[in-house]
Amino acid sequence: MASQQPLPNSQPPMDVYGGDEVSALVLDAGYCHTRAGFAGEDVPKSVLPSFYGSLKSTNTDSTTASYRDIFGDECLIPRPDFEIKNYMSRSESVVEDWDAATKMWEHMLIKRLQPEKETPPSNNGLNDPAEDGEGNVAMDDVENQERPLAENPLLMTEAPWNSGKAREKAIEIVMENWGCPAFWMSRTPVCAAFAAGKASALVIDVGGANTSVTAIHDGLVLKRSIQKSPIGGLWLSSQIRTMWANSDPRVDIVPSYMVENKTPVDAGAPAQARLRKFPFEFTPSFRHYEEERLLTEFKESVVEVWRGPGRYSNPGNEELVKSQPGRVFEMPDGANQMWREQRYRIAEGMWDEAAALPTPDAEVKIQTIPELIKAALSNVDVDLRPNLLANVVVTGGTSLLNGFNDRLNNELMAMYPGMKIKLHAAGLTTERRFGAWIGGSILASLGTFHQMWISRKEYEENGAGIVEKRCK
Amino acid sequence: MSQSGATVSQDCITAFNDLKLAKKYKYIVYKLSDDNRQIEVEKASDDKDWENFREQLVNAQTKSKSGQIGKGPRYAIYDFEYSLASGEGSRNKICFIAWSPDDAGVMAKMVYASSKEALKRSLNGIATELQANDQDDIEYDTVLKVVSKGLAG
Repeated sequence: MASQQPLPNSQPPMDVYGGDEVSALVLDAGYCHTRAGFAGEDVPKSVLPSFYGSLKSTNTDSTTASYRDIFGDECLIPRPDFEIKNYMSRSESVVEDWDAATKMWEHMLIKRLQPEKETPPSNNGLNDPAEDGEGNVAMDDVENQERPLAENPLLMTEAPWNSGKAREKAIEIVMENWGCPAFWMSRTPVCAAFAAGKASALVIDVGGANTSVTAIHDGLVLKRSIQKSPIGGLWLSSQIRTMWANSDPRVDIVPSYMVENKTPVDAGAPAQARLRKFPFEFTPSFRHYEEERLLTEFKESVVEVWRGPGRYSNPGNEELVKSQPGRVFEMPDGANQMWREQRYRIAEGMWDEAAALPTPDAEVKIQTIPELIKAALSNVDVDLRPNLLANVVVTGGTSLLNGFNDRLNNELMAMYPGMKIKLHAAGLTTERRFGAWIGGSILASLGTFHQMWISRKEYEENGAGIVEKRCK
Repeated sequence: MSQSGATVSQDCITAFNDLKLAKKYKYIVYKLSDDNRQIEVEKASDDKDWENFREQLVNAQTKSKSGQIGKGPRYAIYDFEYSLASGEGSRNKICFIAWSPDDAGVMAKMVYASSKEALKRSLNGIATELQANDQDDIEYDTVLKVVSKGLAG
């Protein structure tokens, strides 16, 4: 089975991917994380949660309140009147709040990636009092501030179902607010397929908020094939929540920030920890965000996908797992226990609808991964299907779950017997997590790509509609 | 669509026409220049032995920006000849192969995948296209099956 999943690059590359264009920037926004960096580099320099903090402060007249947005994981710490928001839409993985998106992207592209601008000598305070002749310099400074990215072409990735309106909005911000000289938009599955060396592929992107399946043919997205479902990382979290709430004894989620100190306890024993006391209440969104950190750790270290063949619920499988060593997980408050058969149940709903645990927000039917693939392929020409199945590209952070590719391979073989099925999943975790960003990074770094960019001039002549015409 | 913008040298088209019309070659192997700006002919040959052609692809190399040598993707044109199982004589088909070994570097794979359309569009008369990512994909029998759509004898 291992031969089905080549791990070509299990060694980190010895060199950067290299390029001619050093000043281009690449931005890849997802629901859970936003990635930004310089074209030609092998990983994004700045990876921040797409969640941001909104801090409320009551004004002096104590009748009105103002809100300040705070970006970056290290700033999301316990504070009073602190809401955690997200600028992306969870169900669509596209931008929902453009004001917040603009601020977030500015924070990353300008504040985090650009060198700090030197304060002109005229107003750095050293030459005070400056009574004369600073007018011109100050004007230049304002000019620079207005076009902070005047020297950086920007390549942005987008979900294949992104709307035309959203694309136009993006180019407007890039051109009008930041003054970028050039712009390009690439669809994430195309970047992922190209980075795997394939112009035609079936791309399975298992992300934080959504899992999508898209067929790519000769570098073009086959629109009718696009399928998506919320079975991503956050859905797995909600599965864990349900499991913990219903287990006996109930497993409490105590995020790290609440714990002041802890004493080691035996497995299964109640936690002995002193909790921190805060003189203020936390918002539910903050608590939820902090719980998510703990659940992420659990997903990374304990959750495993039943490798197949066949479903986990098939007779004998659970007994087999029970006889195998489990994994111990320790909560921030010291409570710990062994996870054996339960850890397979969490991800089973991705494959077997009947195995999914009930979640509070499950009003819509959740399509499983096999269903997504079936639906995607049934919408493409019969002649293209064999080639797509022989070129399945797996990307997205949640695909790093243990056993994921083995199961996917087994499911595909069971669904399409007699067909040649080959999975391609990058061996390096960074290439899986940042697949689309890396593809965009290489593309934007190519010397020949300069003729592809939508230039500022083209934008000024044609308006925002140029994106629809050029970035097909 | 997202393409690299690499150009196709005139030699590529000349060699292709020599293969197609003059039957001067059996196969052509194309590569991207070291600066990834242009697609050029690496080798054009009238050697009829598939294995030699296959070796050519399997041993292809690419130099990365920092000068490291690694496995390299290629494009190839092969003038495939096979006889029909039904006994109705032989057929010639010009086959385009996009060779991108899974163990090549991600930069090379990306550049080749995003430049492919440019070359393909410059060459008129390709009967079949093949995307090959490991050595099994370019075994003679595998390719024959695809090119002949299972009709070869």
